[in-house]
Amino acid sequence: MTEQAAALKANFFKFNIRDMGTLIGLVIIFAVFAALSPVFLTGPNLINIMQQSAINAIVALGMTLVIISAGIDLSVGPVAALSAVVCASMMVAGVPVPVALLGALLVGALYGVFNGVLIAYCGLQPFIVTLGGLSLCRALALIYTGGNPIFGIPQGFRSFINGSLMGIPTPIIIAGLIALTLWIVLNKTPLGEYIFAIGGNEEAARVCGVPVAKTKIAVYVISGVLAAIAALILVGRLGAADPTLGNLWEMNAIAAAAIGGASLMGGKGSIFGTILGAVILGTLINGFTLLNIQSFYQLLATGIIIIVAMLVDRATRGK
Amino acid sequence: MTTERLSMQGMVKKYGVVTVVDGVDFKVLPGEVHALAGENGAGKSTLLNMLCGVTTATSGSIYIDGVKAEIRGPADARDLGIAMIHQELQNIPELTVFQNMFLGNPTTAGGVFVDKKHEAQRAREILAELDPDIDPWAKIKTLKVSQQQIVEIARALLCNAKIIAMDEPTSSLTPSEFERLAQLIRSLSAKGVSIIYVSHKMDEIFQVCDRITVMRDGHYIGCVNIKDSTEDSIVTMMVGRKIEKIKHRSYLTDEVMLEVRNLGRSGAVKPVSFKVHRGEVLGISGLVGSGRTELFRLIAGLDRPTGLTVAKHTRMSREISGLDQPAMGEVLVKGESIRLYSVKDAIAHGIGLVPEDRKLEGILKSRSININMAMPAMERYTSIGWIKRGYLRSVAYQIMKELNLRPLDVDRAIGTLSGGNQQKVIIGRWLASGTEIFLFDEPTRGIDVGAKSEIYAVIEELARQGKAVLVISSEMPEIIRISDRVMVMRDGEMVAELTGDDINEAMIAQYAIGQAKAVHEGV
Repeated sequence: MTEQAAALKANFFKFNIRDMGTLIGLVIIFAVFAALSPVFLTGPNLINIMQQSAINAIVALGMTLVIISAGIDLSVGPVAALSAVVCASMMVAGVPVPVALLGALLVGALYGVFNGVLIAYCGLQPFIVTLGGLSLCRALALIYTGGNPIFGIPQGFRSFINGSLMGIPTPIIIAGLIALTLWIVLNKTPLGEYIFAIGGNEEAARVCGVPVAKTKIAVYVISGVLAAIAALILVGRLGAADPTLGNLWEMNAIAAAAIGGASLMGGKGSIFGTILGAVILGTLINGFTLLNIQSFYQLLATGIIIIVAMLVDRATRGK
Repeated sequence: MTTERLSMQGMVKKYGVVTVVDGVDFKVLPGEVHALAGENGAGKSTLLNMLCGVTTATSGSIYIDGVKAEIRGPADARDLGIAMIHQELQNIPELTVFQNMFLGNPTTAGGVFVDKKHEAQRAREILAELDPDIDPWAKIKTLKVSQQQIVEIARALLCNAKIIAMDEPTSSLTPSEFERLAQLIRSLSAKGVSIIYVSHKMDEIFQVCDRITVMRDGHYIGCVNIKDSTEDSIVTMMVGRKIEKIKHRSYLTDEVMLEVRNLGRSGAVKPVSFKVHRGEVLGISGLVGSGRTELFRLIAGLDRPTGLTVAKHTRMSREISGLDQPAMGEVLVKGESIRLYSVKDAIAHGIGLVPEDRKLEGILKSRSININMAMPAMERYTSIGWIKRGYLRSVAYQIMKELNLRPLDVDRAIGTLSGGNQQKVIIGRWLASGTEIFLFDEPTRGIDVGAKSEIYAVIEELARQGKAVLVISSEMPEIIRISDRVMVMRDGEMVAELTGDDINEAMIAQYAIGQAKAVHEGV
């Protein structure tokens, strides 16, 4: 039994090597900006970075699950916009705030079901289905609002989003809670293992009796709900719901997940890595702003970092 | 004496320490139709791959028309006039007939633009002799398989092929289409083209071939004139070695574990009924493509048995499947009927499939051994939605120990293990799921010799523990060694059931190849 005990000693601190790489990347970027700007490495600025990264991180976490399942969700931005305008119009109409918030989440979830059913049961390709959703939801949001932003978001909701708990802004806390929940889902529950299984080898998963279709629907629902949550944070901060909000969210989310080690082939990805990926992207924006460099260069740096991350990925992963 | 069109001398191909082809001579005359035969794994495909430049020979030399040929790649082979028609046709369905014929070798006008008119004209000229009904402008996907095959032959002729190798060319043809192919082969041979004809089907070989070369276990066995031989003598050459009886221990009982009634799928498996008992090892023999894997997939709930849908689709599906009665297939585990086409229900009733293609259908490559084992029965290792990792890992550890899987590291990614060890994990997966009926599809494919006997030991142990085991295998010695009873399938049909001394290579081969008269003995 001692042999067994030794062999089964849980390795709690077995750290994901890929996450380590992402972390090192982040540290290098931090070091560069810290050297160039005295303000960069101060408490308020770091909080600022986190706050700026929170929205993308939330969307990217949902995207990570989708990507691990070997799918993709291009519809997150417009789904976010649709949820935002629906929620805002409900609030403006005097519906109690919690009900309006639930309404937003419901919109995200329902659109996730729509995506998931088309992909899992109709056998359509995720890229195309969600590309369709990208136009469809944007159009619905624009039609619903006539193209105008909805103002008059209740003050209570705004101050909740713009408030903080023990010095930590609400959006960061929300993103943290979501990350924790998804980490548990991915690492501690059968659903997480099913997501890895269908992304890694769908045929083998089928032979094992994994509920492939239900699992696929679940990841798109999670993605849709998280897009809606991200939209609510933005609405709270801006005090308005713009039907054009969420432009290019899908791209930023994919970038964060990919930098964090998610493989578009499926079967690979990590919650911690995606968070780091989102923070790296947020840091770039923040750092370039501090240094007063044109945003064109920030775009350039983002592109370079994505490609370098992939090259490092390829080189370290071996064959 | 004429110069041989093709002479392969002392061909050897080694993969690491494994010798797949060992000193084989193969000679083909101009205009000859030469059969190449042998059991699965005899080395036929490897020999042809060396000829076509797909793999390079470890040693040996090839002469074409008496001139030594250096074949370093497929392009060399093509330039030497060697063409291969693969079993799985290699064409691009969305392109037209002539585009497929000129693939990789387009005719251009002025060196820039593809001269479609000219290409189509050339294609029409060549097709006129083969099958004038094929329109060069038709898309490949609109043609029948037999016509697609003719396009491949036309493509070979376009490259002035002198030697055309056909690998199981009739595997997807109907009898009348075969007649047409036979005519075509004769007319090609009359024009001096040499044909290498790889097939398992004796009647075809006797109908179209002049000579036959037989290989077994990578060795050259002999080359005889078809005129001077009988089907019997050739089967004996193919099967070869005297039947050695390895003592097989039986744990067979009377208790029926699995019963299959009228289970079938149109185009793959004709409705079949049989029983498997506790402690029994049932071997399922037959050639590749005889419907064995498809039968397993039906039992495991992965495919929908047709007959289920007969009521809905009525006449058409009944015609396709050839069913005269609307047979609802049935699978019973210990007398209880299970839901068909439901993997979940099959697993819940203790049915587990160890698939043939480990990589594609078996392993979750980058996941750990313990997760790979838990996958089918996650609920056993979960309480209130939470995976009981400690319990799971200790179960995985015990199973690894039982299966003699080293090193005893339950967290290791399965993809880093050897083929034999991966197979053990897949077996362990079903042990961890409480499986009592094991379906093994080619359990030792791609596994080295040492690990093979370990897999046999595991199978015997399963039988000893009172499980029911079904094993598909193309390797005769394997199936003879492990089975209590052998069922032979041919063309989707169960053609024989052998027990006791009838389980021998000659009997199995006769039924599998279709030489003996089909007798379905039933249960």
